[in-house]
Amino acid sequence: MQTIFLSILLLSTVPVAAIAFYKQPDTAKKLGTAGILLGCIMGLWSVWHTLNAETIQSITWNWQHILIFSISIDRLSAFFLLTIFLITAASAVYGFHYLNETEKRLRTLINQALLGILASAMALVVIAHDMITFLLAWELMSISSCFLVVYDYEQKETRHAAYIYFIFTQAGALFIFAAFALLHSLTGSFSLTSGATLPESTKLLVFLLAFIGFASKAGVFPLHIWLPHAHPAAPSHVSAIMSGVMIKMGIYGILRLYVAMGPNSIVFGRTILGFGIVSGILGVLYAMGQHNLKRLLAYHSIENIGIILIGIGLGMTGASLGNQTMAFLGFTGGLMHVLNHAIFKALLFMGAGSVSHGAGTLAIDRLGGLMKRMRITGITFLVGSIAICGLPPLNGFVSEFFIYNAAFQSRTLSDTDFLLTLLAVISLAVIGGLAVGCFTKVIGIVFLGEPRTPNARHAHEASPSMRYAMQFLATLCLAIGFLPTIFARPALLAANSLATGLKTQPITALLQYQTMMKTSLYISWGAVLFALSCALFWWLRTLAYKNKPLSFTCTWGCGYTKASARIQYTGSSFAASILEFFRPFAPVHEEIREPAGVFPTKARYHSFISDIAETFAVQRIAIPTVRFMRSLRWIQQGSLQVYIGYIVLAILILLVATWLWR
Amino acid sequence: MALEVMRVLTSILLCILSIAITPLLSAIITKTKAFLVGKQGPPLLINYYTLVKLLKKGSVYSESTTFVFRTMPVISLAVSVIAILFLPIAKAPSLISFSGDVILVLYLFGIARFFLIIAALDTASPFEGMGAAREAYFSFLCEATLFTVLMLFYKLNGTLSLTGYFTGTDAINIWRPEGAILILIAIALFIVLLAENSRVPVDDPATHLELTMIHEVMILDHSGPDLAFIEMGSWLKLFFYATLIADLLLPNLSPIMAIPAFLATLTAIYLSAGIVESITARFRMKLVPKFILTSFALAFFAVILVLEM
Repeated sequence: MQTIFLSILLLSTVPVAAIAFYKQPDTAKKLGTAGILLGCIMGLWSVWHTLNAETIQSITWNWQHILIFSISIDRLSAFFLLTIFLITAASAVYGFHYLNETEKRLRTLINQALLGILASAMALVVIAHDMITFLLAWELMSISSCFLVVYDYEQKETRHAAYIYFIFTQAGALFIFAAFALLHSLTGSFSLTSGATLPESTKLLVFLLAFIGFASKAGVFPLHIWLPHAHPAAPSHVSAIMSGVMIKMGIYGILRLYVAMGPNSIVFGRTILGFGIVSGILGVLYAMGQHNLKRLLAYHSIENIGIILIGIGLGMTGASLGNQTMAFLGFTGGLMHVLNHAIFKALLFMGAGSVSHGAGTLAIDRLGGLMKRMRITGITFLVGSIAICGLPPLNGFVSEFFIYNAAFQSRTLSDTDFLLTLLAVISLAVIGGLAVGCFTKVIGIVFLGEPRTPNARHAHEASPSMRYAMQFLATLCLAIGFLPTIFARPALLAANSLATGLKTQPITALLQYQTMMKTSLYISWGAVLFALSCALFWWLRTLAYKNKPLSFTCTWGCGYTKASARIQYTGSSFAASILEFFRPFAPVHEEIREPAGVFPTKARYHSFISDIAETFAVQRIAIPTVRFMRSLRWIQQGSLQVYIGYIVLAILILLVATWLWR
Repeated sequence: MALEVMRVLTSILLCILSIAITPLLSAIITKTKAFLVGKQGPPLLINYYTLVKLLKKGSVYSESTTFVFRTMPVISLAVSVIAILFLPIAKAPSLISFSGDVILVLYLFGIARFFLIIAALDTASPFEGMGAAREAYFSFLCEATLFTVLMLFYKLNGTLSLTGYFTGTDAINIWRPEGAILILIAIALFIVLLAENSRVPVDDPATHLELTMIHEVMILDHSGPDLAFIEMGSWLKLFFYATLIADLLLPNLSPIMAIPAFLATLTAIYLSAGIVESITARFRMKLVPKFILTSFALAFFAVILVLEM
């Protein structure tokens, strides 16, 4: 327990203190990074201890008998802490060279301080034991991340993105407040473990209110609108933390409330599963149509939140139907995907940051051929891409395999639930297929082929600390892919704590352990088999090429040898036919200015995919609201006398009302 | 113990034999097509000659390419061979089998496809990019069908492995009480076979006009042993899908009967692929998704029917 406090203290104070040394930016940055790293290492140490401890530790402070703060670490918290500390450490290392402009040294140091505060706020969110602490930490997390987004505040889009994010995060928080207020008024307790005794219908109301709030943080479709704006605007290592870890706090919130209330109604599982399927498919679909690399990755976060929700939804369905193996596998798979997604998404955002540093642009169709110029970034990005597609032998496959195994426990379920599970399986397969399409586009267009612009031709490799961070995360992807057991155990323990409040007894620890070990073992077998087989055939290939002539020439173009880089396929054309297939959900808009006249001027073509949720929110909600508010503008007269008049009038009306009431 | 050793030895033997005969089986399609248009066609051993010829040659590489281009043939062959290890050939239990192996195999084909597509984009050729985009498009539709079929098989006998599906007393085949429904699945799988292995009417392996091709255009720049690896990989993949259908069509037989029956069924499947190829034209690209989705509709309909039984 003390270690985690020390860790939070280091994370929140050392980078802040480092600002004082802004005259020597290098020393200050080293100090700040060291503080964050040390904090993360101590945090991981305490996670290790919590996972092995039998008892749940908790501490309560009482301030003036008004505010009572209490904190406790159970295994669910520990699992999320693991994700937070791992990714924060990698991002801090990455940020050391990523933000390296001398003229912005003060801003860089403030950014670093906010990064530490964000990490400690997230740690506080997952260890908070009562509503007050939780909400305070939640707000601290939202606000510090908001400031992190506006690092490049000179740019209008960045300010716009931060504004949208601010609206969403605060509106979402209001729903969480409402849910907690309802819970408090019914149980009379601020504790985050109360609520198990409420009637099912009330539980549903509380859960739905909180779900809206948490889902807007997690980026569940259709509450994801802020995400594709905020992630591209933020510096890459901040995007890595926000997309990898912060949005998972929404998932944590959902799970924490689920544990607190221990609902038995099937509606919860079905709702979560439904949202998961929709987010998963639409997220990857919109990602397909993006032209900006970081925006594309942001939409992939929505997709992966969908996959996590599918896992958790299967878990909840299994739990409420008494299908314990399904519950346990679904929860474990969903939780593992929380960690796995954090790792590969942080890696990919860092790769995108290196691309933007090295080639000066994030526009997919202006890049190309970066694999030869940025070898480390290219290879680590390739690893991340294979992982995010859920392909073996990397870590994305591990969690998806667990989730599939959960879905394939549905034989005894009723027809409705069987069909819902079938839908989940089909959508997982389709999501996987579309993700392959999307990431082959990124790898193929950005990293392979020939550079499309001079910028891309002169791209340079990322700085050392950026490379270290990416290599570290890529190694983790491989390690989990080959040895899932190391991280399956924490997920298993956390999943166990999810099932405690339920009506049906969880299956015995031994059986759980055996199932987990068996599933992990199969994944390891698959990975090792793949590696061995590749090694064997690589050896055969070297034999086949022994003493053979190899020659190098240009690409075959039907006899045409003067091909320029511009005749290559572009990302937009690559994605076009798939987007066409899904047109009602992903309308593509084109703006064309054709060359016209005897002396044609510059022609222009611009295409973009519009997000139906965003269109709906703007057209049907924001604009009518603004119009309605405008019609009430006459109330604001702008003169003090009128406002005093309003106050007097309001008091009079209240007096009359109370008098009549009696 | 001796029985177990016998079983493993049989499996190994079957795997090696199948890998050895796949080029011959693929030549059946070529021969059928030639026969139906009144030509003599190449000899049945043509694919072995091609392999030997390619393996003897060196390679020409495009200057645009990177290591990805060179890794792809290896991964593609490695994956196909692994898939054969999990396959219950002639209804005998496969060499390796565990619960969930079928998901692993389908996802391994996924990684082979990932590398196939990026290797095509690696050449910076517009033709290959076009083929790559189509490959990415059509394959996710096939996956929807395949996973629906898996879910149906799971519902029928409660296992999640290829060996579990097709061997043992509760094996899935069209001679079961639900057999009539499984005919739908056999048709769906045949459509997937045509689509995944780039056969007519989805793709034309014989055409020389790159604009209309999918698979062939993606490997335009590969030559020599690399191309031999890719060809072998795709023959094995075709064999994998054909075996799934053959296992589905065959009743439970004694081991001595099973192998000839299996070979006959397999030949019939390759023959029908050849006949389809001869009597139909390749679809316009816009029609291909509808064709593949037909297989999904069949599979989904079969699930509904099974639930209603």
